[in-house]
Amino acid sequence: MFEAKRLHPAAILFNLIKTVREFLFAIILGFISFRDDSMLYFFLITAGFLVIFIITSILTWYRYTYRVEDDELRIEYGVFIRKKRFISKNRIQSIDLTSGIIHRIFGLTKVQIETAGTDTSAEASLSAVTLAEGEALREELKAGKKQQTDDEDATSDQEEQTNPSTTISFKRLFIAGTTSGSVGVIFALAAAGFSELEQFIPDSFYDNTLEWAIGLGIVIIIVMAIFVLLVLWLLGVAGTMIKYGNFTITKNDDELFITRGILEKKQLTIPLKRIQAVGIQESVIRQPLGFVTVYAEIAGGSLDKGEDFSSILFPIMKREEVETFLETFLPDYAGIQHELTPLPKRARKFYILRASILFLVLTAVIGFWIPSFIWIPLVLLAGSILLGVMRHRDGGFYRGGQQLTIRHRSFSRNTIKMYHKRIQAFEKKQHKLQVHQKLATMRLSIIGRLGTGTHFAIKDLEESHTDELADWYSYRN
Amino acid sequence: MRQAPVNRIAKDAMKVWKITGAIFAGVLWLITIGLLVFSYLLEFTYWIGVAGILLSVLCTYFFVFLLPKLRWRRWRYEVFEQEIYIQHGILIVSRTLVPMIRVQHVDTKQGPILKKYKLASVQISTAATTHEIPALLEEDASELRDRISTLARVDEDDV
Repeated sequence: MFEAKRLHPAAILFNLIKTVREFLFAIILGFISFRDDSMLYFFLITAGFLVIFIITSILTWYRYTYRVEDDELRIEYGVFIRKKRFISKNRIQSIDLTSGIIHRIFGLTKVQIETAGTDTSAEASLSAVTLAEGEALREELKAGKKQQTDDEDATSDQEEQTNPSTTISFKRLFIAGTTSGSVGVIFALAAAGFSELEQFIPDSFYDNTLEWAIGLGIVIIIVMAIFVLLVLWLLGVAGTMIKYGNFTITKNDDELFITRGILEKKQLTIPLKRIQAVGIQESVIRQPLGFVTVYAEIAGGSLDKGEDFSSILFPIMKREEVETFLETFLPDYAGIQHELTPLPKRARKFYILRASILFLVLTAVIGFWIPSFIWIPLVLLAGSILLGVMRHRDGGFYRGGQQLTIRHRSFSRNTIKMYHKRIQAFEKKQHKLQVHQKLATMRLSIIGRLGTGTHFAIKDLEESHTDELADWYSYRN
Repeated sequence: MRQAPVNRIAKDAMKVWKITGAIFAGVLWLITIGLLVFSYLLEFTYWIGVAGILLSVLCTYFFVFLLPKLRWRRWRYEVFEQEIYIQHGILIVSRTLVPMIRVQHVDTKQGPILKKYKLASVQISTAATTHEIPALLEEDASELRDRISTLARVDEDDV
C-alpha cells in the first residue's frame, strides 16, 4: 500500500452534499426574500454557486490522497492550502468503518481513524472508500500495531482459536424495542404534534369529526386508540431495529469489535485498555422483566461519536447472562457483585426529601391557588417519594481487592464496576446535616469522553464506610 | 480522610475574595440604582427597587463580609509524596484525594487581584478532573507546582 490513492469518486457527492447543507439556510432565505420580483436572478445566482460548489468538490476529491508508508498513514489534502497529515500506526487507537445508506448503494464505507487524546485535529476521516479497501486499510494499519505488541511480550504464542462473538437475536431486539421507552416518547411527540396541528384544522371540521366520533360510540374510539398505540409501538420497535439490528460483538486479542445497524452500518473498535469501567443498566421497564443493558465507559472519542449508545456493549440480555457474557468478552470485569453493602436506614429520609422536594413545593403552591387540581401534584409527589425510596434501596457498594462496584439509580438502576487504578480522584462531601447524622457522599471520577471525565456519586453512605473507601483509595499506605 | 489536611492558604486570600465579592456586589448595586431610577421616571411600583436594595444588602453582607472568612477557615491542603489532599466548601465540606500518578499537569495562575497581593493559585489537572488551590504566596505556589510536577513523574505502570 505504498502508492498514493484517491477516495472513491462518490466522495465528490459527499463533499457536495456537505457544502450544500451548510449553505441550505442561505438558499432558503434567499428564496423567501427574492420570491416575488427577482426570481430569475435568484436562480442564476444559485446555479452559479452550485457550479462553484461542484468544481470545489471535484478539486477537493482530486487533491485528497492517502497512502500507508513507513508505518504511517499519510494524508495529503487541501485545494488552496496544501496540508499533509501523518499519523503513526502506533498512535492509532481505533479504526471505525461506517456505511450510511448512500455508502451501501455504492458498496462503500467511511473510515474514521481515532488517536488517543481529545484533540480532534489528530484524527482522520476518509469519507468514501470501497468496503474491501476500507477493510484492507484497517488490517494494514492494525498489523503494525500488533507487531509492536508482539515484540513487547514475545511469549504470547499464536493460539489458533476462533474469536468469540455474539449476535443479538431477533426476539431480543423485539423486546428491546418494546421496552425501550421510546414508545412513550413517540406518543408524547404525536400528542404534541396533534395539538400543534389542531390550530390549522377549521373548527367546523373539528367539531363535526368529534360529533361523528362520539356518534360511533365508545367502543370504536377504544379500538382506534388501541390501533394508534399499536402503530406507535411498531414505530418504536422499528427505530430500535434500525439502530441495533444485527448487533454483533466480537473479541479480537486486545479489542472489542462491534457492528450494528440495518440502514446505516456502523463498525466500532474498542481497545480493551481504554475501557475505564463496565456498567449494567436496568431501566424501570426492563428491570421487572429481568433484562439489562451492558455498557462500558471508554476514554477519549471524537465529537461526532459522542452519542451515548456508542459505548453500549450489548443492548439487551437477561440478567443471568451477564456473567457468561463478561467472562467471554471482558474477563477482567467478570464477577459483578449483586450483594452490596447497602446505605444506612437513616439515609432514606434524605433520599425521599431530595426526590420529592420540588413536587412538595408544587403541591403546596397548587393546593393554595387552585385546589381543584391538587390531584396532579399529589400523584407526582407520590411517584417521587416512591422513586426516593427506590434510590435509597438500590444505592450501595462492594469492594473486592483492587475492584470497586457501585450501584445507584437516577431512573434506571446502574451497577458499575471499576478498578482502583482507573479512578482519577476521590471526593468525600458532607453538609451540616450529614455530619450530624454521620453520613457522607462519595464521588468518584474516571476518564470519560471528550476529556471532561465521568463522575459517579453515591449519596449518604455511612461515614465510616466512606472513610474506609478513602483509605482503600489512598496511596499513602 | 478522617483528619483534615494541615496547610492553610495565604491569609490575604480573604482580601482577594472580599474584593471579588465587592465587585460583584457593586454591579448589583448599579443594577438596583438603575431600577430605582427607572421606576421613578416611569412612575412604576417601587417594590422592585426595595427588593433590589434588600438583595444587594444581603449579597454585600454575604460576599464581602461573611463568606470570605468562612471560606478561608475551611480551605486546607496537604501534599504528600503519593497524593494531594484538599479540603474546601462552606456549607458542604468536600475532601478530595488526587493520587500523584494521576496528575497530568500543574499550572500556576495569577489574576490582577492576586498579583496585587503577591499571590497565585495552583491548578492540578488529571485526565478527568481539575482541582485548584487558590491564593498561595507566589513563592509557595511555584514551589508547590514544581514539587507536584516532580512527584507526578512516577512511572504509570506502577499501579
